[in-house]
Amino acid sequence: MKEVTLEMAERMMDAGIRWARDVGKGFASVAVVDKGGAIIAAERMDGAAPLSTEVAIEKAWSVASFKTPGIMLARLMDPRNAGSILGDHGLGLIGRGKGRLAPIPGSIAITGDGGAMDVIGAIGCSGFPAGMGEVSDNTVCQAGIVALYD
Amino acid sequence: MVITLAMARKMRDAAIKYAKEIGKLCSIAIVDDDGRLIALYRMDHAPIATADIAWSKAWTAAAFKLPSSEIYKFGNASMPGFGFNTANWNDRLTAIAGGLPIKDGDKVVGGIGVSGGTPEEDVIICQEAIKSTGIE
Repeated sequence: MKEVTLEMAERMMDAGIRWARDVGKGFASVAVVDKGGAIIAAERMDGAAPLSTEVAIEKAWSVASFKTPGIMLARLMDPRNAGSILGDHGLGLIGRGKGRLAPIPGSIAITGDGGAMDVIGAIGCSGFPAGMGEVSDNTVCQAGIVALYD
Repeated sequence: MVITLAMARKMRDAAIKYAKEIGKLCSIAIVDDDGRLIALYRMDHAPIATADIAWSKAWTAAAFKLPSSEIYKFGNASMPGFGFNTANWNDRLTAIAGGLPIKDGDKVVGGIGVSGGTPEEDVIICQEAIKSTGIE
């Protein structure tokens, strides 16, 4: 994979939303951005919270911008980690990106042929609990990523 | 009547089909009656700004229950509401053509915005998309 196309984004969003509906039994929005963080596509499932579309976009934007998954951004920028190596690096990020930086779990990079740092885009999800549990925004993102390799 | 994701996807398909026919790369945004984003799609290699512009057009159409092109009327000092066109609520207000309210009879149920072609082309793509849903 060299770049994320609209067709790939549609496949990922469809898989994520189907997972959210059938397995997660909840409501979610899913967004896909390109390597520069520009929106390729975003969708809100019927019944999901109105703001979730925008949050999904900003989560995906944050991941593409940092080439770092949302869970890692969340730990980097958690004030409770101040004083640790992790926190000292991350606290300065708070408020960056004109307020768009969303350090919330539930967003994953889409990588290309060049390995883990060859980020060609990102997927973000909002609507479920944001943690790393079995039913979370992160799982919806994973369902989307898996659909790319079907 | 509310706009469902299935309807939004149908509008996407109709819009992209028409855009391809006339050889344009565009973005399509669909919002609900509250102006909140339901779906947004950017065709491959369409300029990145088109996604945000399409979203703004859809928001404007839903929020004012008017085609986005008619916002210019509020710039006429003899019209009631003079100045609306310059107040940028929500950072989304735009007077550019290419945003239409989606109506079920008299009731506005959402908005659609298209960006990527000329303003006239964008409006036609919006109309094609709305037609595909069978409402109005």
